[in-house]
Amino acid sequence: MRWLRTCLVALLTLGVTAPVGAERLVSVVSDKVVSIDSTFSGETMTLFGNIEPDLDSGDHYVEGPFDVIVVIQGPAQDRVTRRKTRQLGVWLNTEQLAFKSIPSFFWVLASDELTDIASDELLTMEGILPETRPQLTVVQGSGDPQTFGTELVRLMTEAGLYGVDPRGVHFQSDTLYSAQVALPADVPNGNFLARTYLFKNGEIASMRAEGFSVRKTGFEQFLNLSARQYPWAYGFACVIVAIFTGWLGGVVFRR
Amino acid sequence: MCHYPARFAVRVDTDRKARLFVAKINSGAKAFTALQIYLPIAEISVNLFFLMGMGGAVGFLSGLFGVGGGFLLTPLLIFTGIPAPVAVASVTGQVTAASTSGAWSYWRRAGIDLHLALYLVLAGILGAFGGVMAFSALRAVGQLDLVISISYLVFLGLVGTLMLNEAVRSLLKRRAGVISRDKLPGKHNWIHGLPMRVRFKRSNLYVSVLPVLAIGAAIGFLGALLGIGGGFILVPALIYLLRVPGNVVIGTSLVQVLAIMAASTVLHAVNSQSVDILLAFCLMVGGVIGAQFGASAGQYLRGDQLRALLGLLVLLVAIRFAFSLLVTPEDPFSTAILGIGEDVQ
Repeated sequence: MRWLRTCLVALLTLGVTAPVGAERLVSVVSDKVVSIDSTFSGETMTLFGNIEPDLDSGDHYVEGPFDVIVVIQGPAQDRVTRRKTRQLGVWLNTEQLAFKSIPSFFWVLASDELTDIASDELLTMEGILPETRPQLTVVQGSGDPQTFGTELVRLMTEAGLYGVDPRGVHFQSDTLYSAQVALPADVPNGNFLARTYLFKNGEIASMRAEGFSVRKTGFEQFLNLSARQYPWAYGFACVIVAIFTGWLGGVVFRR
Repeated sequence: MCHYPARFAVRVDTDRKARLFVAKINSGAKAFTALQIYLPIAEISVNLFFLMGMGGAVGFLSGLFGVGGGFLLTPLLIFTGIPAPVAVASVTGQVTAASTSGAWSYWRRAGIDLHLALYLVLAGILGAFGGVMAFSALRAVGQLDLVISISYLVFLGLVGTLMLNEAVRSLLKRRAGVISRDKLPGKHNWIHGLPMRVRFKRSNLYVSVLPVLAIGAAIGFLGALLGIGGGFILVPALIYLLRVPGNVVIGTSLVQVLAIMAASTVLHAVNSQSVDILLAFCLMVGGVIGAQFGASAGQYLRGDQLRALLGLLVLLVAIRFAFSLLVTPEDPFSTAILGIGEDVQ
């Protein structure tokens, strides 16, 4: 549902801000579903597309130069950011601020430095800059939202979950581009949204949104569902497995 | 205009360095064995042999000393990048397995006083309920972190110092040529004067049930509040307060740890849904193997040597913990996913 909402918001903003240009984007994601099995250790996604003349404009070719920004956004999650302060001589987490529905993954791939592609105002308005994400969510708790938001983005960047790659989009020809994003082994599960922006002269000429999902399959999915839907049975199963393993170890290694 | 790269300047802190180091070991092991396993609840991929090795090392200590080892394993897992709630909850499963294995090995050697264990477990379960209530009450007034940190420090520090002190004295006496009995000097203290006495045949004890129940309840209370099995407090309490003989103290303690941890596993699975059975299983397999070797190795060491080593270990963890509380952190900020049912005031 959240993903749908994000999609709707993206489409609405598109309607408001994107001028009807003479270009249109045709884009493809290499995998619609990234399956996680027991041997999953990250995957590289390729997004590619072509810039074509808009059918309504009657043009037969497009004229550049173009810039492309691809924003890959993971499923929303609630996160808490904590700050340690000294209290009674010891360092403890005293201030904490919860950010509701913040993207669990946010990578911006671009064909150039973002500041060379468009103005900060436009990038902020479109929600392209990672550091503007915390400002877009509801907060709860004690602590200054501005400071905690900046720190949250820094921590997520250090963890490799947020980032900007100004060399992430390559032009194979004047109109054909490709972008690669490495999904880490600890990639959040759920629905992802890839927004592709086509910039021309610092303005958005066109925009496309593509969805893909990361989900567990087979045994991994079975375990995850059991833990969520039958927590009592799952808990007892864990204890039985533990006691059996312990006992078996005792029998096997009898000396 | 270009202000974001500066804002993203990576502040390398020690925690990150440690994580990178672990990641390096991880990738080194990966090249060696190429056996990564994806953990469904933790949602992270970890090297299988790395996990089993870690479980094995801690299992060895648990078999050797009769402690669960959770106070060592949980921080290790968090260091490797497993989310803290998943680490805490899954370790309860691993400790259940390790203590089953250890208890089984002591059972065969008649090293368990089931009668005494029964009293301890029943009181322990009551204590655990009290601990859960105290947990909620402290969280409501916002003092949970402070109480948990200080209690950890006090208990680890106190128990470690007492054990090390007593054991070193005993070792020195032995070196000086004094023949000490396996039973501790001053077999009777004020505790043995309390009413409602019960005879515990295996332990060769005739003591009041009151201190037994009090110890059991206190361990259950602390276990639920601090998320530990409590073996490292229970073993010295049984030795120094009740004068339980060395040959049954560890086995009996393991039974108590087993019962409390099994109950905690179910509670964690229901409350926070953060028990990763695959993670717990990998740790278990390593852990039970390690525990067998630990229990065997324990037979080659005398009681006072074992107590000195455990005292030293507990004290080291306490010092490490004090360090993290007292030294100014390089990065005062941290972030975590908000768990199920968790909220921020």
